[in-house]
Amino acid sequence: MKPTQRPISILIAALGGEGGGVLADWIIAAATAEDYPVQSTSIPGVAQRTGATTYYVEIYPLTNAQLGGQRPVMTLAPAPANIDVMLASELLETGRALANGFVTPERTTLIASTHRIYTVEEKIALGDGRFDSNRIMSAASALAKRAILTDFHKLAANTGAMINAALFGALAGSGTLPLPRAACEAAIRKAGKGADASLRGFALGYAVAEGKAVAEGKSIADGKAAATAGMIATGRVAAAANIRAVLDRVRRHFPADVHDMVERGVARVAEFQDADYAGLYLDRLEAIAKLEQSRPGAERWKLTSETARFLALWMSYEDVIRVADLKSRRSRFERVRSEVQAKPDEPVHIIEYLKPGVEEAAALLPPGLSRRLVAWTDKRGLTYKLNVGLHVNSSSVFGFLMLRSLAWLRPLRRMSARFAEEQALIERWLAAIAAAPEPELALEIALCGRLIKGYGDTNRRAKANFLRIFDTLVDGGDFAGAQARAKAVRAARVGALADPEGRGLETSLAAHGIAPLPPQPKIIQFMRRPGDGKKAA
Amino acid sequence: MERQFNAEIESLKLGEGEIFHGEGILAVTKALLQSGVSYVGGYQGAPVSHLLDVMVQARDYMDDLGVHVEACTNEASAAAMLGASINYPARGAVTWKSIVGTNVASDALTHVASAGVLGGALVVVGEDYGEGASVAQERTHAVALKSSMWMLDPRPNLATIVNMVERGFELSETSNTPVFMDLRIRACHVHGSFKASANRAPALSTRKLLADPAAFDYEHIPHPPATYRQEKLKMGVRLPAARKYIREHELNELFAGSESTVGIICQGGLYNNLLRALSLVGLADDFGSSRIPVLALNVVYPLVPEEISEFCAGKQAVLVVEEGQPEFIEQDISTLLRRADIQTRLHGKDFLMMAGEYTAEVIVHGLLRFLAAHAPQLDISAGARWTDAVNAARARAAGLLGAPLPPRPPNFCVGCPERPVFAAIKLVERDIGKRHISADIGCHSFATFAPFSLGNSILGYGMSLASGAGVAPMLAGRSLAIMGDGGFWHNGFLSGVASNQLNGGDKVLLIMKNGYTSATGTQDLVSSPRDGSAELVQEHSLVRADRTIENTLRGAGVKWLRNVYTYRVADMTKTLREAFTTDEPGLKVIVAEGECQLERQRRIRPVLARLLGSGARVVRTRFGVDDETCSGDHSCIRLSGCPSLTLKASSDPLKVDPVAHVNHSCVGCGLCGEVAHAAILCPSFYRAEVVQNPGAWDRLLARLRAGVIGWMQPA
Repeated sequence: MKPTQRPISILIAALGGEGGGVLADWIIAAATAEDYPVQSTSIPGVAQRTGATTYYVEIYPLTNAQLGGQRPVMTLAPAPANIDVMLASELLETGRALANGFVTPERTTLIASTHRIYTVEEKIALGDGRFDSNRIMSAASALAKRAILTDFHKLAANTGAMINAALFGALAGSGTLPLPRAACEAAIRKAGKGADASLRGFALGYAVAEGKAVAEGKSIADGKAAATAGMIATGRVAAAANIRAVLDRVRRHFPADVHDMVERGVARVAEFQDADYAGLYLDRLEAIAKLEQSRPGAERWKLTSETARFLALWMSYEDVIRVADLKSRRSRFERVRSEVQAKPDEPVHIIEYLKPGVEEAAALLPPGLSRRLVAWTDKRGLTYKLNVGLHVNSSSVFGFLMLRSLAWLRPLRRMSARFAEEQALIERWLAAIAAAPEPELALEIALCGRLIKGYGDTNRRAKANFLRIFDTLVDGGDFAGAQARAKAVRAARVGALADPEGRGLETSLAAHGIAPLPPQPKIIQFMRRPGDGKKAA
Repeated sequence: MERQFNAEIESLKLGEGEIFHGEGILAVTKALLQSGVSYVGGYQGAPVSHLLDVMVQARDYMDDLGVHVEACTNEASAAAMLGASINYPARGAVTWKSIVGTNVASDALTHVASAGVLGGALVVVGEDYGEGASVAQERTHAVALKSSMWMLDPRPNLATIVNMVERGFELSETSNTPVFMDLRIRACHVHGSFKASANRAPALSTRKLLADPAAFDYEHIPHPPATYRQEKLKMGVRLPAARKYIREHELNELFAGSESTVGIICQGGLYNNLLRALSLVGLADDFGSSRIPVLALNVVYPLVPEEISEFCAGKQAVLVVEEGQPEFIEQDISTLLRRADIQTRLHGKDFLMMAGEYTAEVIVHGLLRFLAAHAPQLDISAGARWTDAVNAARARAAGLLGAPLPPRPPNFCVGCPERPVFAAIKLVERDIGKRHISADIGCHSFATFAPFSLGNSILGYGMSLASGAGVAPMLAGRSLAIMGDGGFWHNGFLSGVASNQLNGGDKVLLIMKNGYTSATGTQDLVSSPRDGSAELVQEHSLVRADRTIENTLRGAGVKWLRNVYTYRVADMTKTLREAFTTDEPGLKVIVAEGECQLERQRRIRPVLARLLGSGARVVRTRFGVDDETCSGDHSCIRLSGCPSLTLKASSDPLKVDPVAHVNHSCVGCGLCGEVAHAAILCPSFYRAEVVQNPGAWDRLLARLRAGVIGWMQPA
């Protein structure tokens, strides 16, 4: 045969520790066994420590026997627009391969796993820093000659194999290599260690590439809209008859578009306190819904819906009572068992990491007492210093009772200082929404509810940001109009979620001529200069 | 050690005519044995770690052959081993990561190069340049030039690499000069095959001992006045001998081509990429047949003037394809052509980019410019079409993706004992303000990435404390130097601690005592834990047993010395604060103990599996986050960055932000819980202890608890 072929180039994008090197070794072993010239290279280096890395393999599609004495010169690095098969073990790395030009419609079969392993940059965002998976999915489909996209990680895990086995299976099944299935399986067997599991993973991957197994296609396992059974469905709240009355009110007084959101809100708020409190939630929300009905914004019922969301979250703020309640429920015990993959006969001890302090105690006291306690500790600089680290075994009778006792304080919550404080702030927020002269501004103010979250320090920072925006841009500040004010509020909100130190927020405010807050004072310790200890030379 | 090389060790034993399959760097190892090497040394580091690792693991076989293998504590001690070849006709090879390792080694290299060698001396350097590199980008070539050591840069296929190792020893002996073998990252990791020869037991070895040392010969001492003669020998005798050998043995390869008016001279190591580039431009096939003549320099220093003249003479123009800067080879060729008065136009860095890796894509761009200028008759439209296609693919991808992708630099492994230290530093800085932090080489340098972003400078391996010497006296707050135990033994004790003690420096030094040189593949140190393979140390780290570092520090007069188990974030925070604020003068050393989690898992996994299989009670610890109470602020992630602490969509659709989530890779190190405590973050973390193979008491207790709790428990 005349050697008019070209090398088949295979680029593997993987993360350190995923077995990308083993995958390359399998390909080499199979190709070598079939007498095809093959070469691979890699750049493991420190990337083996969880970083992104690549492996590159070339196979010449004529056997050494067919080539006679000739041997191809194969290259060591992948060239863009020159890749026949692109394998990627993770979706963002797939995106990276696309961005680098390694996937082209003329040539490239893309075999990629759709699961995400988030980068640190995505994980540390104060809000949602995840890269949009759907964009990568649609780019992958658009740019590849053929795209085999599925959650290979899950596929492999179900068989006890690593993802590399499932990817190898898909590669073998894709028909892009001159390697028969048996040769690939023999390569896995020859490598030994964990061969049985790898072969099972291989078989599933093979079936996916052949189109026999149901590839998940566009559905992304952890997509933003992954809705799970709500609290209503679990029956945790709806049991009480008086909740039904509140839920009926939702159906009667709110447009169908927001029923889902408002019902979830009602359930959450009712679980937090009681049916009356859920009634208050609806009272507050109805005012907003009426406002929106008389003055609709660009997006239908968005204001009501988003206010419903953040109002419910805020009204069910995180306090000791709520945490103790949630942590001692049966559904939670069961969830932990499933998350840690305990077998039915294996006892599981659950130890909570709690560190309550003055703040938590003060939150439960009536406002007057609470103020006096905090004033006393503030004077001595103890407010944030008296926290007691507890490891509570909530699966023991004592630990469980401790949590339940706190949960039983729920009826007293309405008298607590924190309750009063949160309600006042909520009222200020709702009043600002209602008073906004234009729907855009109302919506932007409503969305500021997103800033309120967390515990302790986080919650203090969140509230400080919220109030800063309110003081400077919602209640104060000179703007040409409501539109300009809405724009400024949006920018400040984004800024507040940019970094925990508040630099983003202050930068955003500075654009409107608002002087930045002075930096937090830091203790500087001056130390004796060394010198006495210096040895004589 | 991180990797087991059982199969590779077997391939080192292949005999005459058998086919070796494997990695480039292991082919070098095999070639050393085929060359009858007497001693091998080196310091680990990508991409050459495997050379030494496999030899260390093959100790029995090396003993049989009589080859002495030494895992040195730094590159200087490795280079100094070459001293054996000055007085004795013994072949030796040493290896390390370059440029950094070469820098450390260069004192010894200067002296061995000046004295000259009787036995062949080969320095195998992994040129850590371009994609995948982890060090400052410089060329080892410069060191070869200044020390007059020859440099091989073989074509990256196993047969050529092996041949060049064998010829390299002969070249070294013929010219009495130590020789560099320069291998790029991908060449070290290239997987191919070659026909092996039998290994040669060395003439001088641990099995064939010399009765007497060499006779005294002042000419072998790099000391004046011998140094003046040695300097003249280098250029007057050794260089011509080397050139003669290179030419006679055709170490450089000429690939003829039909277009005789132009030509390309490339470093051997770039040959394959050049061929692919020529093929993309439409001027070469896949079998090395190019229309443009190519001179592949397997020896990049010294060049042979006759070879260069013969190749260039009669050509209108020649392109030099030479990676890295400055363009030493191009300058060398330029001088040779000028002296020979050959009027061929010379191009190189004017058409190719000055700095950075020469991929096929980069070379295509250079070729298109060169050929457009000097061979307009050639059809190079394929190359232009290809670059257009690349640009179009990238532009389209960028449009579809809509935003730049977040980077994914390396990071601390799941359960890494070093991560808690940086969480503690972040917490201390909240209290007492930012500190100047001198960082170092090692896994802990990952702290310079998010979420920690800690470290003001890195000056080299083990240099952190030394690099604080100038800055510390100018700062109001006490400064911190961080180094690993690898760095401590590599250089840190001498350059850092000893110098600080001499000068009475008032600094804080934190030593990561994880037991191994972890970043390079968990090789052993003098302070590595011994014989601990069967031990199951759950609470404390295995590294605790060894006190070599502490004893060394005390011996050097360090008074303030604390050992802290790294996972105790609160203890670490307290100790750091004390170190930063104490009135006590002198060096404050915190030894942060915690065994490398990779090694620990490798050690305890089989033990646990065996216990489980035998029906013994084993408690498995996992951490988790209650997604109902997690508010999605991710403070915990900003203080940890553990790969197993990640995100998932909240089960409550009201919450827009994803919640924290501990995935199944968790090894139960406990950092997330400790951080939640130390930083008073939130009550969402829990530790779950799964009792595997529960005993009768476990089952009874579980039943009782379930009964009582179940009676009172809401849904």
